[in-house]
Amino acid sequence: MKQTLVLATGLAIGLSLASAQAAEPVTVQLKWVAQAQFAGYFVARDKGFYQDAGLDVTIKAGGPDVAPPQVIAGGGADVIVDWMPSALASREKGVPLVNISQTFKKSGLELTCRAETGIKKPTDLKGKTLGVWYGGNEYPFLSWMSKLGYKPDGSAGGVKVIKQGFNVDPLLQKQADCVSTMTYNEYWQVIDGGYKPSQLVVFKYEDEGVATLEDGLYVLEKNLGDPVFVAKMAKFVKASMKGWDYAKSHPDEAVKIILAADTTGAKSEKDQKRMMGEVGKLLGDTDGKLDVKDYDRTVATLMAGGSDPVITKKPDGAYSFAVYDAMKK
Amino acid sequence: MDPRRLRLGFLLAAAAMAFAFLLPSAPNALPLLARPYISAISAAACLLCLLAAWLADLRATVAGFPASVLAAVASLLLLDDPMVAGSAGAGFWLIVIACWLSAGLCVATLADLRQLPRKRQRAVDLLVPLLFGATVFYLWEVGVRGLGVPPVLLPAPSAAAARFASSLPTLGTDFVQTFVRGVLIGYAIGCGAGLLVAILAHRYQFLSRGLLPLGNFFAALPLVGIAPIMVMWFGFDWPSKAAVVVLVTFFPMLVNAIAGLSASGHIERDLMRSYAASHRQSLTKLQLPAALPFIFNALKINATLALIGAIVAEFFGTPTQGIGFRISTEAGRMAIDMVWAEIALAALAGMAFYGLVTLAERATTFWHPSYRT
Repeated sequence: MKQTLVLATGLAIGLSLASAQAAEPVTVQLKWVAQAQFAGYFVARDKGFYQDAGLDVTIKAGGPDVAPPQVIAGGGADVIVDWMPSALASREKGVPLVNISQTFKKSGLELTCRAETGIKKPTDLKGKTLGVWYGGNEYPFLSWMSKLGYKPDGSAGGVKVIKQGFNVDPLLQKQADCVSTMTYNEYWQVIDGGYKPSQLVVFKYEDEGVATLEDGLYVLEKNLGDPVFVAKMAKFVKASMKGWDYAKSHPDEAVKIILAADTTGAKSEKDQKRMMGEVGKLLGDTDGKLDVKDYDRTVATLMAGGSDPVITKKPDGAYSFAVYDAMKK
Repeated sequence: MDPRRLRLGFLLAAAAMAFAFLLPSAPNALPLLARPYISAISAAACLLCLLAAWLADLRATVAGFPASVLAAVASLLLLDDPMVAGSAGAGFWLIVIACWLSAGLCVATLADLRQLPRKRQRAVDLLVPLLFGATVFYLWEVGVRGLGVPPVLLPAPSAAAARFASSLPTLGTDFVQTFVRGVLIGYAIGCGAGLLVAILAHRYQFLSRGLLPLGNFFAALPLVGIAPIMVMWFGFDWPSKAAVVVLVTFFPMLVNAIAGLSASGHIERDLMRSYAASHRQSLTKLQLPAALPFIFNALKINATLALIGAIVAEFFGTPTQGIGFRISTEAGRMAIDMVWAEIALAALAGMAFYGLVTLAERATTFWHPSYRT
């Protein structure tokens, strides 16, 4: 009788302690499907870094029809992973996104060409057929073409552009001379498609000086006025950066976590391992601080996009160090 | 419409306008009485609603229609005030409700008219859907601007129209690429092939019994699965889009044409036999004309299917022009007003195409009983 009383009291105290520490909910919308490109978030969730920070994080995977700016504008997420060109364009179109952390410092975007077309340097691209992703990923390409002086409309002395889907079929089917690839994803699809690296010529946008900032974390501007939200985001970013750190130093374990999280099964373990290795080369500082020089270069690239610049004026207040400062405290 | 209901409706509209003067248009905005032009317009609308309530029959539309127009103008002028747009209050919504109510009552009254002289009946038949459509667009506009819906989710129709007007060259090239090259060519080939195979299947039994079930299978193939395969086979330019349209339009035409070719009556077929008509003569003089209503049925269905097929096929790889291309890339750039402008272009093209086919149908199948009622 006395034992059950003690047991009951112990349980009651334990339960009340647990419920007193209610975790804060955070929803993050990824830019694409669950893959090693977002390893940090999955690792942080699985290894309990978010839980330790008192956060209950829901990770929403993206896909071909999911536009993260639209998701956050519709209230479906607190923070999104997006590329800076898309975020700045959305900002100008009425969704006031603000960069709170820059995960990838280097760009993984590149143009992969078949060596048999005779392309050796960028000036050889004249008159060739190039596959370009649209949907926000065409700006570095347009800026590069305008730098080289080639019009992307198929006219003589320009280049012919086809809108590429989310695969590398135009290259494999020989319908295009070059296609857009990411160092960590589609390039390996070309290799798996039967090409050897010696049969390919790759132009990295980083080397051409027209790269834009890619994966970063963005929130809505009005939420940054709420100190509770800023504190919550600081905890989220800190735990996510810890996750990225762990993923970089334990890539095999990270790949296992991602495979478990990927319900589509579209990528094999080999693909995810390769992606993890390549993504690791793109990551920036361990605290995700945005380098303003990179930001300025991205803005300059976007405003120089030929006859159709996607942002027409320099953005104001598109990034904020509020979360970074809160993290450092 | 019941005169008492009409009277009640217009009285409610007038009451809504009256209360709009008392309730705030938006938190922190000037009250309605402080705006001279808008209050004059709103007061006029209120009086016209009262007049319509007093008349309470067909003549009420003469008063109710201007009342709804004035209320619409008042609400749109209010939205020009940045304090109202995005955070509209009860006073504003009452004006919207008054406009909606009076427009709705006018439409309901006009729709009841059936027995007018021909020209007037045509005018009324045209006016009812126009008024209905205008009300829908008005509600969309004030809803988006009054509630402050982000333009990347749903732009106002005025924004889409402005973008339409300023992008006519782009829209023109997209129209030519998708409609003229993809849709029209694919439509002609698909419907032509469907008709030809139907004629052959009608002649040779083994074709009709073997082909139709297979046709069912091909018709069920998903469009979004076929399109990338066509792009791989026929390349990125318009031939692959035309190929998708051919696949999409073939089966409806086949089924309808086969049904139509058997639609001629026994007596007429016996007559042809008694004249010793050859199969070809019987086909051209009896069976094809009798099949025309069915063929036009298929042509009308295919008109819309072809446009959908061509646009969806363009999502999967195209050169940098075309309606589908523009929709997917501008959606990716968050320029949703351009997406809606392209949607409007596709809708207009589809309606015009369907209308042309219907006119052709009217001209050739005037003898069919359905036109005599």
